[in-house]
Amino acid sequence: MPSLDFIYNIIALILPFEVFQFGFMQQALLGLILLAPMTAAMGVQVVNFRMAFFADAISHSAFAGVALGIIFAISPHLSMPLFGVIVGLGIMLTHRRSKLSNDTVIGVFFSAAIAFGLAVVSRNQGIARNMQQFLYGDILTINELDIWILFGLFLALLIFQILSYNSMIYIGLNQTLAKTHKVQVAYYQYSFAILLSLVVIFSVWAVGVLLVTAMLIVPAATARNLSRSAGAMLWWALLVSLSSSLLGLWISAQEWANTATGATIILVAFGWFLLSLLYNRLQLIRNSAGSGATG
Amino acid sequence: MPLDKSLDHPDILNFSRVTVILSGTTILRDIAARVPRGSWTAVVGPNGAGKTTLLLALLGQLPYQGHIPTFPQNGSSLAIGYVPQRLDFDRNLPLTVLEFMSIGKQRTPIFFGIRKQFKEQAAELLKAVHAENLLRKQLGDLSGGEFQRVLLALALGQNPELLVLDEVAAGVDVSGARVFCELLDELRQERQFTQLSVEHDLSTVSHHATHVICLNQQVIAEGAPEDTLSTETLTKLFGLHMGLVNQNALSGRQGACDGPCCRNCQQKEAGNNA
Repeated sequence: MPSLDFIYNIIALILPFEVFQFGFMQQALLGLILLAPMTAAMGVQVVNFRMAFFADAISHSAFAGVALGIIFAISPHLSMPLFGVIVGLGIMLTHRRSKLSNDTVIGVFFSAAIAFGLAVVSRNQGIARNMQQFLYGDILTINELDIWILFGLFLALLIFQILSYNSMIYIGLNQTLAKTHKVQVAYYQYSFAILLSLVVIFSVWAVGVLLVTAMLIVPAATARNLSRSAGAMLWWALLVSLSSSLLGLWISAQEWANTATGATIILVAFGWFLLSLLYNRLQLIRNSAGSGATG
Repeated sequence: MPLDKSLDHPDILNFSRVTVILSGTTILRDIAARVPRGSWTAVVGPNGAGKTTLLLALLGQLPYQGHIPTFPQNGSSLAIGYVPQRLDFDRNLPLTVLEFMSIGKQRTPIFFGIRKQFKEQAAELLKAVHAENLLRKQLGDLSGGEFQRVLLALALGQNPELLVLDEVAAGVDVSGARVFCELLDELRQERQFTQLSVEHDLSTVSHHATHVICLNQQVIAEGAPEDTLSTETLTKLFGLHMGLVNQNALSGRQGACDGPCCRNCQQKEAGNNA
């Protein structure tokens, strides 16, 4: 595996803060720089498709994924994404084939995945200790292999977004209309389910099961408030996600803060969201004042 | 040559023994009907008659038994533009009309901007439906009537040989609906497409349509509006006395509006009289 040292050197150079001179912080930062744009971009579509609950189900399947890995003595870094993708595809397949509503299908898979995880953990008391990391996440323990996997996923996602962004917006708007314009809805839905499952699982490492959905939703929701077009929405989501991640990581490492990184990132993003609400409010006031003056 | 054969065919498409069964319920039974080339074919019938289902079968959105042979002019596949009844969509999605009209055409993602060629195309199509001022507006801010126009412009962008409309007048006020119908008449003559639409307003049908399919799970009647919209058929179709509607609708059928449909009728009448 080629060394990532040159990237770490660059990080140390451009961010001359004391905290970023440590190896694990550089790794965490690089992990976040890769992860944040992915959750931002996927989040835009998660919000458009109203799939927040889907993301929740996948993140909770991480629990069962780890348990499976331990039973079959496979690395959780392999069993988690694998199981996540299986659950994601299972939900999509069932949703497309059955008459049940989307949230019902997700709810069923969600609970089944959790029940399975709990069943395994209750049998093997020793595993429970490892589970805390998956509940709260720990970007600071990310290793070099993880970074390389993230690189690969980043590349796959970049290609997917460039090829599919327009069609995904179309499908999010109205499926029937998209179909009459020859958009292959099923193909995009399955590809999206697979990629989203992977992104969610890898985000579990960073922010933990409980906060993954926030990584997807908060930047996208903020972007919706701030943008006037679907194109701008992606850029806003990227800006919010990246800035929150970097600022969150930096704050969490400060002595006065000393907080969990994942939680800090989400809190910074939430700050962005509050600002976007304020912006919306101001615009509303300005618009009504403007129409009042002219009308 | 298939090309000549297609052009010779008086119809643009036929429904041949089309049956649609959805989860055990027969929605359409043995539908046989024509859509004459260049016509405004209206599908009328009560709620639940399967009108929208017939359109969706044609669009390939529903499984059906039977055949729907098409006879396109270029001999390959029929270009269909579709204007849905009501588009349920997220009104808070920040999407401009320009973006909406470009996402189906532009290959490069719209977050890199929209190419000049597609901007011009969208502006041109909006101009054709008299809605050029909507280009920069957000989709969620449009009124019902404005949104219908944008959907129509989008469908026209497919360069359709057949334009399929599903109760476009629903949710638009009466005068708006009339203006929309006149606009369609104008466009149909200008662009030479065949129009197949589900209509709920019988006066619109008797006024504008040239061919009518009366549908209630099966075809009750088919033909020219004068012949199909008889008291007898309408009673059979809607199950109540429709004579009044029928007579009102048909009286003064020709020359009743300022649209090109009636201008033509008036000219024809003037020509006949001379």
